[in-house]
Amino acid sequence: MDEFQSGEEASFVVDEVSSIIKEAIEGAIGGNAYQHSKVNQWTTGVVEQTLSQLTKLGKPFKYIVTCVIMQKNGAGLHTASSCFWDNSSDGTCTVRWENKTMYCIVSAFGLAI
Amino acid sequence: MAEQPCPEMALPAQVMAADNTEAFPLHATRRGSQPPARGSEEGKPPLLLSRRNSVLSRRSSFGVVPGSRRPSIGPWMFHRRVSFSGLPLFQPILKTRLKNTYRMGPDEGCKFNVGQVQRMLEGALASALGTTVYSPQGSAPLAQSVVELLQHRAKEVVPPRYKLVCHVVLGQQGQQSLLVASRALWDPATDSFASATFSNASLFAVATVHGVYFE
Repeated sequence: MDEFQSGEEASFVVDEVSSIIKEAIEGAIGGNAYQHSKVNQWTTGVVEQTLSQLTKLGKPFKYIVTCVIMQKNGAGLHTASSCFWDNSSDGTCTVRWENKTMYCIVSAFGLAI
Repeated sequence: MAEQPCPEMALPAQVMAADNTEAFPLHATRRGSQPPARGSEEGKPPLLLSRRNSVLSRRSSFGVVPGSRRPSIGPWMFHRRVSFSGLPLFQPILKTRLKNTYRMGPDEGCKFNVGQVQRMLEGALASALGTTVYSPQGSAPLAQSVVELLQHRAKEVVPPRYKLVCHVVLGQQGQQSLLVASRALWDPATDSFASATFSNASLFAVATVHGVYFE
């Protein structure tokens, strides 16, 4: 007797995660200008908020969230990521955000258990 | 042959359009011997073949029956089998059953070794970016190649059953400041990460490798 996939297994939904990340960024650094003394606090805030919202989704996933905040000074920046995982169940979402004084790039990776 | 009920007419019309590129021998099959085309879930090739033949025999009467559906190219076109209602039938996905390993965690001594991975990262970054100069066009593919190189090296160093996430931030050296932060929701007993930085006169790079145990 063959078994068939139920189709109800959780998968990484990019749109959902993307909106969670945007809200977290807006909430933590929304209208602020770059301040060196506060950057630590901001990155922690963005990452913690994102992670707690992802946890509330209740899916069987392990999450990794990274955040890069850089002051706007005319320098160029590139980020790249490469993952060794199961393509069918795992996924990633990256959000780029900026205001007049800084760039913020947040990546969230979800790996199925 | 003109007494077919409407729904049955719709089915052959769509199957016909799907197979219109092939040439069939035009011969009528006995309709009485066919089981009704009610969405056969299991794959039965002989049934499909005979259904195809019976479609052609009814081609002439297709336009006459009122209320029959016009054959339109839809998503079912790409599926070899359609159900009774005209929607595509997906082949049931067979789930492979693997033997149970009864393994709950990584073996002893087989965990993510942070120090080893960090040393590997530092060495790889130094050798890949030693004297490279930052350029706006060239740095995007450079970042990608560096991250792929790091992933290959990490796979050699990290124990089996670990999923890896490698992340590289490459930027121009200027008078700006930058902060890279990451947090993860995982099992701290088995999962960990390693990171390394590199900088020269024109660029800087921050590399992070997260290793997550796959149960």
